[in-house]
Amino acid sequence: MQRMSMILGAAVLAALVKPVIAADAEHGKALFVACAACHQERPDALGPNLKGVLGRKSAALDDFRYSNPMKRANLVWDEANLREYIADPQAKVKGNRMPYDGLHDPKDVDDIVEYIKTYK
Amino acid sequence: MTTILKEVDAVVIGVGWTGSIMARELTKAGLNVVGLERGAKRMPAEDFTLPNVRDDLKYSSRQELFQDAQEETVTFRHSPSEAALPVRRLGSFLPGTGLGGAGAHWNGLTWRLLPSDHNLRTHLTQRYGKSAIPSEMTIEDFPVSYDELEPYYDHFEKICGVSGKAGNLRGQKIAGGNMFEGPRSNEYPNKPLPQTMAGSIMEAACKDLGYSTFSGPSANASEVYTNPEGLTLGACEFCGHCERFGCEANAKASPNVCILPNLLSDPRFELRNYAYVKELVYDRQAKKVKAVRYIDTRTGEEYEQPAGLVVLGAFVFNNNLLMMTAGIGEQYDPSTGKGALGRNYCYQLSGNTVTVFFEDKVINPFMASGAHTTNIDDFNGDNFDHSGLGFFGGAIIAAGTTNGRPIQTRPVPSGTPRWGREWKQATAKWYNHAFNIGASGCSYAHRENFLDLDPTYKDVLGRPLIRMSYNFRENDHKLVEYIGAAMERIGRAMNPTKISPASVRRGNYSVVPYQSTHNTGGTITGSDPKTSVVNRYLQAWNADNLFVLGASVFPQNASYNPTGLVGALAYWSAKAITERYIKNPGPLVPV
Repeated sequence: MQRMSMILGAAVLAALVKPVIAADAEHGKALFVACAACHQERPDALGPNLKGVLGRKSAALDDFRYSNPMKRANLVWDEANLREYIADPQAKVKGNRMPYDGLHDPKDVDDIVEYIKTYK
Repeated sequence: MTTILKEVDAVVIGVGWTGSIMARELTKAGLNVVGLERGAKRMPAEDFTLPNVRDDLKYSSRQELFQDAQEETVTFRHSPSEAALPVRRLGSFLPGTGLGGAGAHWNGLTWRLLPSDHNLRTHLTQRYGKSAIPSEMTIEDFPVSYDELEPYYDHFEKICGVSGKAGNLRGQKIAGGNMFEGPRSNEYPNKPLPQTMAGSIMEAACKDLGYSTFSGPSANASEVYTNPEGLTLGACEFCGHCERFGCEANAKASPNVCILPNLLSDPRFELRNYAYVKELVYDRQAKKVKAVRYIDTRTGEEYEQPAGLVVLGAFVFNNNLLMMTAGIGEQYDPSTGKGALGRNYCYQLSGNTVTVFFEDKVINPFMASGAHTTNIDDFNGDNFDHSGLGFFGGAIIAAGTTNGRPIQTRPVPSGTPRWGREWKQATAKWYNHAFNIGASGCSYAHRENFLDLDPTYKDVLGRPLIRMSYNFRENDHKLVEYIGAAMERIGRAMNPTKISPASVRRGNYSVVPYQSTHNTGGTITGSDPKTSVVNRYLQAWNADNLFVLGASVFPQNASYNPTGLVGALAYWSAKAITERYIKNPGPLVPV
């Protein structure tokens, strides 16, 4: 009986721990569909193309009209600040013009960043 | 001097919903098409993003995106015995201008008419007897039945990514959807928007009263969606800036998002902005429109664009104006009933409200999208027995919050002073604790409601203004009182802290307060060339290469917002042109 509950306990623990240690790029890709409604490669897209955004300077694309706050942000997009920005865009870059209030589930944020790492 | 240009296969006048749809379908069929748009080119990435949105004063109060009444307007009078005067500031209705037309700044309610709205005269005669319809009520059947138009409603809903829930799927009635609607071949493309607080209160009250609520069909996408054109809408962010604004979240369907990106990249299509169409060149003998004359408003130069096919996709007033000034058909005369052009101008009985106030409930009116309503259709069209009521038609009744923008969202209980400290205190107290139950009613044609050319006043191009002769009639007055009482019943069933008495459109029609931009008629579709201007394919009886699109073809107006029907009819007409007319030009219905 004790052994049984130990196994169960381990299984529960594994289920709890697993998402934290392994961000799910596949799930992130599914979530990214919502972003891609604006962030796409069309020349008339509403958002800047995010291909290769990781490691890029903020407001770096010549063919996109960034807001002044984004131009002044002076960031280099890395995992940490991308995570902060996706979770609460207005908190990270106050006054930027992306009409999106953020992804509220930290797991979703991790997954989407995991996907963006592969999006080149 | 007029510069004569090289002939093209087709010219489309006005590049809003109908012009975009038709141009897209014609270019797909291999035609070279020129789109003449008097306004600016508006594309979402530049024009519907900050700082070009969310400015309530500029876009809503000061009407940035609408037609400029200094350049063109209509004159108005209540009856043929009065002299009409120009509407110098737009109020009651706000026609659009610029690429996308009013489709860029609409709210997004995308309805289908009831089957009984389609064959209205026949339906009412069958149900209430031959003498039931008063002689002055000149309502007609749409010559296209609901069943015929169903696939086209369906397609337009898919183009727009409409969010909603079916209430009648292939004849099976489904609770939670509109069970009064005609049979649908498919579920809505997207799930309904989440319900507002106002909608939840509405649903509970209506349930107690035995009415069935449903989510208003909304072209504000509830989720990310890719339409049959391969174009993508984002999910609505509920910012409350739909009507009178472009959508910055890419979530509101518009020609600019749902069709134009493909049309503009097609080499068979050429868009000419600032091309203000002045007149149609009509060959009476040949029964053809030979060309379209327009002014380039940047240079003042005049051009003549010959075309094999001419599509009139302007707003109601300009569709009428261009046909009247060219003399395509006979002007309607209310004293004799003769002539069809200008006949059956209708509107909509909008802005009927009951306001409810709840001290203990938080409404959050600013968390909203344009088409974000919880509706009942129990009192709409002929969904209820009209025996002995003395009127026909009904209204959609809805509660919801489309915006909480601070300039105009100031609900206060009746009896509150109109200004000063008490008013300020009341607006602060109730802003987040009140909402409207609203109704939009059918507008049925009346012999003396019509359009013609004004004998006195001219527009910026020197053409006569359209003269609107219109008033609310007995049918309208009885209808809104009946609906007002129904709204009060619903309001009381909500157990509010306070309720205002029904504010309905009583007395004479006024062009001042905003009601709706759902003006209809004047170039109506019908089966008889004596009483209609276009046939069932929206082809002019008197010019077989002229097709007229938009709400000017409605023989009368139902209670629903018109865009769903406007879009469906555009696809219906496009199919007739591409499959029949192009191969064998001539009348599609024998005259």
